[in-house]
Amino acid sequence: MIDAAERGLFEESVRTAFARAAGERGAPVDGALAELGWLELLAAEPADAVAIVFRALGSAHATASALDDVVASALGRGTSAEVAVLLPESGASDPPGRTVGDRLRATGLATARVDTAREVLVPVGTEGGTNLVLVPAADARVAPVRGIDPEAGLRAVTIDLDPGAARAPDVVDWEEGVALARRAISHQVAGACRAMLELARRHALERVQFGRPIAQFQAVRTRLADALVACEALDAALAAAADESGPATAALAKAVAGRTARTVGAECQQVLAGIGFTTEHAFHRYLKRTMLLDGLFGAADDIVLSWGRRLLDGGQVPRLIEL
Amino acid sequence: MALSDFSILDSRRADDLGEYRRQLNAWLDEHADDLAPTQAAPTLDEHMAQMQRVKKRLFDAGWMRFGWPERVGGWGGSAMLRTELGAVLSERELVDPGKFSLIEVLAPTLIDFARPELAADVVPRLLSGEEMWCQGFSEPNTGSDLASLSCRAVPDGDAETATTWRVNGQKVWTSLAQYSERCVLLTRTGPADSRHRGITAFFVDMDTPGVTVRPLEMINGVREFAEVFFDDVPVPTERMLGPRNGGWSVAMSILPYERSSCFWQRIAYLYKRLERLVEAAPKDDRSAEVVGDVALQLHALRARSRATQHRLASGATLGAETSIEKVLLATAEQALYDAARRLLPGVVEFDDDPVAESWRTEYLYSRAATIYGGTIEVQRGIIARRLLDLGTEP
Ligand SMILES: Cc1cc2nc3c(=O)[nH]c(=O)nc-3n(C[C@H](O)[C@H](O)[C@H](O)COP(=O)(O)OP(=O)(O)OC[C@H]3O[C@@H](n4cnc5c(N)ncnc54)[C@H](O)[C@@H]3O)c2cc1C
Repeated sequence: MIDAAERGLFEESVRTAFARAAGERGAPVDGALAELGWLELLAAEPADAVAIVFRALGSAHATASALDDVVASALGRGTSAEVAVLLPESGASDPPGRTVGDRLRATGLATARVDTAREVLVPVGTEGGTNLVLVPAADARVAPVRGIDPEAGLRAVTIDLDPGAARAPDVVDWEEGVALARRAISHQVAGACRAMLELARRHALERVQFGRPIAQFQAVRTRLADALVACEALDAALAAAADESGPATAALAKAVAGRTARTVGAECQQVLAGIGFTTEHAFHRYLKRTMLLDGLFGAADDIVLSWGRRLLDGGQVPRLIEL
Repeated sequence: MALSDFSILDSRRADDLGEYRRQLNAWLDEHADDLAPTQAAPTLDEHMAQMQRVKKRLFDAGWMRFGWPERVGGWGGSAMLRTELGAVLSERELVDPGKFSLIEVLAPTLIDFARPELAADVVPRLLSGEEMWCQGFSEPNTGSDLASLSCRAVPDGDAETATTWRVNGQKVWTSLAQYSERCVLLTRTGPADSRHRGITAFFVDMDTPGVTVRPLEMINGVREFAEVFFDDVPVPTERMLGPRNGGWSVAMSILPYERSSCFWQRIAYLYKRLERLVEAAPKDDRSAEVVGDVALQLHALRARSRATQHRLASGATLGAETSIEKVLLATAEQALYDAARRLLPGVVEFDDDPVAESWRTEYLYSRAATIYGGTIEVQRGIIARRLLDLGTEP
């Protein structure tokens, strides 16, 4: 772990850089991240790197291809702007690729890096584990994902080729990649949730109805209080995922992120009311981004269901963290 | 046993918590038969006797002494050691955390505010199961608005020099008052409208003439709390806790203990109960969704509570931010028992075997999680004002 001073400094420069980039809406912040030494920090201190950068991405509503770096480095691979990573399809967390007969087939998502990369790193699920296969980018069919949040810059990718065209496979621990990706995305959700709460909190203090700020109405206060409780629960789950790292704490953090976003989104939207209902207000961007992020690397509802099945099968509830 | 008999001298330090836990569990395994409850569905009388018996064994063997200051018969060390003890006992279903962790609510008050001789005399009695104590704060007209309390204490003579005070008034919902030898009592000693500036705390013997306890049956059929009437009850001035008119700080000082170790113990218990539910629930996807959801809430709560205790152990003062875990705990506890009611159809409402009896009692009791220790509405109010800076309500 880096010390508090270094952490504060890095946080501050990330925030400033993202704020500058946010001027050009939707413009990716990859250049700024590279200059700040994101890749070096990710290699040395993945927990801190992911926590700081993804939270800042969330609160600045910025886009980047940093998730490629997270997955590649968690799988023990070098990171490079020349290599895009194929991410699971929406809702899924399994490796996006599989071999069918003598073909390599893959369907998944990618960040904008895939547009300029030379190669695509494809995680392929096999009986013996997950292989990583490098495919020439020219062999990938790429289409933009519009969906609810076109600004996120995601691409839908399909690959169908003779594995002869691909470079030699590597066996990796896919769970590691999933765990760090889940933590990263959950930090991004946490940043977006705090941003929504701050928009609604400021609005509550400024908006006057019936002769007083709406922040004085207990119904409004209660909604914002519940939103803060949800944000704090997510931060606690993320801290636990860093302290006791592993697939289970990361999965639960991702599920808490989905639940938190649902609560914070709903409570803040109600407080912002008509003003927050226009696309001229920033709220909608955060809301849509969190909706999109819930579907990356497994949605909250699916994680909860599979965790519940595991509890029922094992007849136990793992405590995961001790005092 | 004496401290020197322990091979884990170092577990007086918080960083040896794992070792403490291991040795404690080994000791509890060894004495499992002796400590186990004798009844499958104990009455409250039997339950209280069981708890005091377990406390006695643990005190004699030394476990109850870790984490308490030496001047009250403890062996020192981090308070997290006693948190861990309560959690392990709750998980093993040897004690009920709500009753056991009253120690955490009451003993620190004596240690911090009583005369040292008084604390040294009485705290070991509480720890060793020789005595029970209760907390007399709420009154018929004083619930959430504690500063409005009116149970009066008047000096016999001049307030500066009186050796005795006389108490008149009534407390209500006082948990376990009928089992208690003593009561930490909040009284009005300033003018009627002096609010938090005119409250004084006393440590009152429940067998003093003029004290009458009338147990009340709770919604779950258990007579666990009571009305307590004070009719000209004499209390020696030396039983005053903190300074005269300084009772508000005494009441507020409880918060950090209640919100750290009591919560951790309760969370440990809720995990155990979820495990019981997981064993009994049908093995289908509806169950998976419901228990998965409760497990998720418990996990976030446990993570939050752990962080709070580490903050406390590193010297932080706990304050309004603990309202967050209070809301998380109340919500998770009720979600767990809602889940039990859904997944064990008819058990809470119709069945009469001992297992059903405990689900029913606990289901009904869990509705209090949003009431006692500050209602959930009051917590949200604190969060809005203190943590979100939304200003005061009109
Ligand atoms: C099982 C149990 C055990 C207890 N044990 C003890 C004990 O050992 N010792 C003791 O002293 N007390 C004890 N209590 C009492 C407990 O502390 C009080 O019930 C609690 O403080 C709430 O007070 P009240 O019941 O008078 O509710 P009230 O304060 O009358 O509140 C009624 C309703 O109004 C709401 N309300 C009140 N004020 C506000 C506000 N400002 N904003 C919004 N909503 C508000 C409340 O949230 C609640 O929903 C116990 C209670 C229970 C249920």
